Order: sequence, then structure tokens, then C-alpha cells
Amino acid sequence: MTLDRLAREVEALLMASDRPLSIERLCELTGAGLEAVEQAVSRVEDALSSGGHAMEIAYIAGGYRLVTDPALGTVVSRLFEGRRPGKLTRAALETLAVVAYSQPCTRAHVEAVRGVNCDSAMKTLLERDFVAISGRMETPGRPLLYGTTQSFLEYFGLARLEHLPRLDEIGNLLALGADDLEKAALDLSKDGEDDH
Amino acid sequence: MPTETAAPESTACRVTLSDFEGPLDLLLFLIRRDELDITLIRVSEVAGQYLAYIRNAVELNIDVAGEYLVMAATLTRLKSRSLLPSQRDQSDDSQDPGKALLRQLILYRAFREAAAELRDSEETWRDAFPPAGERDRFHDALREAERGGESGSILELLSALESLARRDEPGLPHMVERPVLSISECIDRFARVLHSEGVCESFIGVLGEKPTRQRVVSFFVALLELVKRGWVVSRQVGPFGGITLERTGRWA
Repeated sequence: MTLDRLAREVEALLMASDRPLSIERLCELTGAGLEAVEQAVSRVEDALSSGGHAMEIAYIAGGYRLVTDPALGTVVSRLFEGRRPGKLTRAALETLAVVAYSQPCTRAHVEAVRGVNCDSAMKTLLERDFVAISGRMETPGRPLLYGTTQSFLEYFGLARLEHLPRLDEIGNLLALGADDLEKAALDLSKDGEDDH
Repeated sequence: MPTETAAPESTACRVTLSDFEGPLDLLLFLIRRDELDITLIRVSEVAGQYLAYIRNAVELNIDVAGEYLVMAATLTRLKSRSLLPSQRDQSDDSQDPGKALLRQLILYRAFREAAAELRDSEETWRDAFPPAGERDRFHDALREAERGGESGSILELLSALESLARRDEPGLPHMVERPVLSISECIDRFARVLHSEGVCESFIGVLGEKPTRQRVVSFFVALLELVKRGWVVSRQVGPFGGITLERTGRWA
């Protein structure tokens, strides 16, 4: 399968880019129309998969990017041994989840939801640029508000915030009235994942 | 409470506090393990399990974080409330500590599950490597933060600012009261009331205007002491009726 000029241009741009490229940016760079670029992207995808290549195109954080096949992760990660930040702890992941679904939100909100102090988890998330200060709340004390970043989407392979898992379910829970609580409580001892 | 005696040494299920991400996590674990019912009716069961757990941890000299003890206090309070006849039937739901805890548990569980899904995404996408140029961008950012470069110092400045701002954030009210009343002072006050009138129609009457919680407890302990010594007897006409206090001959 030989790729046409536009598809090759798209592939080259994805290969060389230092960040995910949005469809608009690809149009701008190639001078082609939206539909043509979309089709070109899928031709590159087909070529990569049918040719048995180790790369694929992922749609992440509002843009396309080339990534290596996760199945080859073990081998590729040897390249970066000792140079790669570790996986997030459970505390950090839970803190991140609360921020992601409630953003913008204060640190006090995160601590109220988790029932524990979140200082060190929050520090890790700020340092790794998954969470950033997004403003201040106009209440006494003007506490800082936090939100997730572009790096957050990229790290977790999310196309956009709306693609967070169970977004509606958690939104409903956050707005839950007292009457619905009894019903929701019934399954506390039944379903739900428990990783202990 | 069937498993109250289950010590953490038992081979069936050995779990320590460090396995949990806080008191809510532990509560959810216990609720699931023993299929407990976290409604007001059965809160005593949940509280019993939780307290047994914390007690074990304390006995094993494990440093129990403050948050766990706060939850233990909350559960104890809920348990005692559930044993007493309710004072107000139409209590405001938002003020109800049982409902508040329930809401907290449900919300926390949802976020805990969301965190587990994020973990799965992390597993997958950590193994998908982007082109070298993109990785360099991350590494630069990482190095800069480690060196305390420009972006790092702004971050530090903001977190310093935040720690200042947090001081006047409306948090939980923290009241420190100095002890103002001893048990013997309470007994003296009972003596004044009972020696002049012989009987006292209500316990509340002895407390005075707008008693603090501490004052109520002090007087109650004093009353228990008086009853124990046999100086005072209490009489109740019917269930939930008023309780009158009477001085006995033994109180000279």
C-alpha cells in the first residue's frame, strides 16, 4: 500500500511534532480541507496497521499523535529506565479523580470528599503538571481553585475532559439530594469494585 | 456484633490500616466485607466493626492518624443518637450527621472507582510512547521543576501564598475551652437546688441558661456520681416521661 502525498505529509507532521496536532492545525499546515485531512489520517492509520507497524495514531487531548503500540511497552520502557517518573499512588489518583470531576475546586473540597489530608498528593500532582491552579474562589479567604491540565489528558490518553469515565454518574451523585441517598446506599454493601 | 472479637492476627483476613486511604476507605471495606447496612438503624453495627478495627490498631501500637479517630468519634456519636429517642422528628436532613456520612461514603466510593479506571488508563497509556520530540518537552519541564527553574519558583510562590490563604479559609470550627466546671462544683449546685426544695423536676433546670455541651456532660456525670452514692434517686412516671430527682436521707 503506497500512501498519497497528503497522507505522507500528515504522517510526517505527526512524527515530527512535539505535541498532539489538532485537525485544524493539520489543515493549516498542509493547506488541505478538513474532510481531506480526516481521510488522510485514517489512510495513515490503515497503512500502519495493515503493514504491521509498531506505531499507531491516537486521538488524545484534542489532537492526533503517533504512539508506539502499548503491547511493546516492556521493551520500549527499557530505553527510559531510571529516567521515567513512577506510576501515581492511589492517594494521588483519588485526589486527581476528585479534581478532574469537580473542577474547578478547592483543596478543602478534595479533602472533604476523601476524608483525609491531601497535601502531599496535591504536591505530586502539581509537580507532575497534572493539576494546576486555575483561579481563586470569591469567598472569604479566597481559596485557590484547581483544575486538570493538558498533560493530564495526555497521560491518561483522554481525548477531552468529556471523555472521563462515568462523568454523568458522578455529576448526578455530586448533585444528589437527601431522598435519593437511601436508594444509592442500598448497593454499598453489594456491587462496586473493591481492590483489597 | 459477631466479629467484634476478630483480631487482625486471625488468618482469615489480615488487613492493616496502612492498606487504606483513610477512614472512608476503611468503612467501605468493612461494609462490603461484612455486608453491613449503613443506614441509621444499623449504624451501631458499622460503628462496632469500625471501632474494633481502630482498637486493634491502637493495641498493636500502630500510629493511628487523626482522621481515623475523628471518624471513630462521628460513628460513636451516630450510634448513641440511634439509641436515644429522637428529639425532633422533622429534623433537617442536611443537618443530619447520618445522612451527611452516607453522602460522603457514596461520593467517595464513586471517586474511588473513577480513580481505579484512571489507573487502568495509566497502565495502558504509559506503555504508548509518543515521538522523541514530545518526550523531550516533558523531560524539560520535569528538569526545570527539579532545578527550581522559573516555572518552579512561580509554583512555589503560589503554594506559599496558598498556605497563607488557607489560614483564613472557613474550616471546621476549632474551639478550645478551658475547664470551667469540676464535678464537685456540679454536686454543689445540685446540693443547693435539692437541699432547698428536696426534689428537682428536671435535670435541664439545674443546668441554667443555654448550657454548653461540656456543662451538660459535667452535670450528668455529677448526677451519676450522686446516684451511685445513693444520695439521689430518680423517678420516671412512664416511658419518655419527665425524670424527677429526689434527695435521699443519706445525703446529709
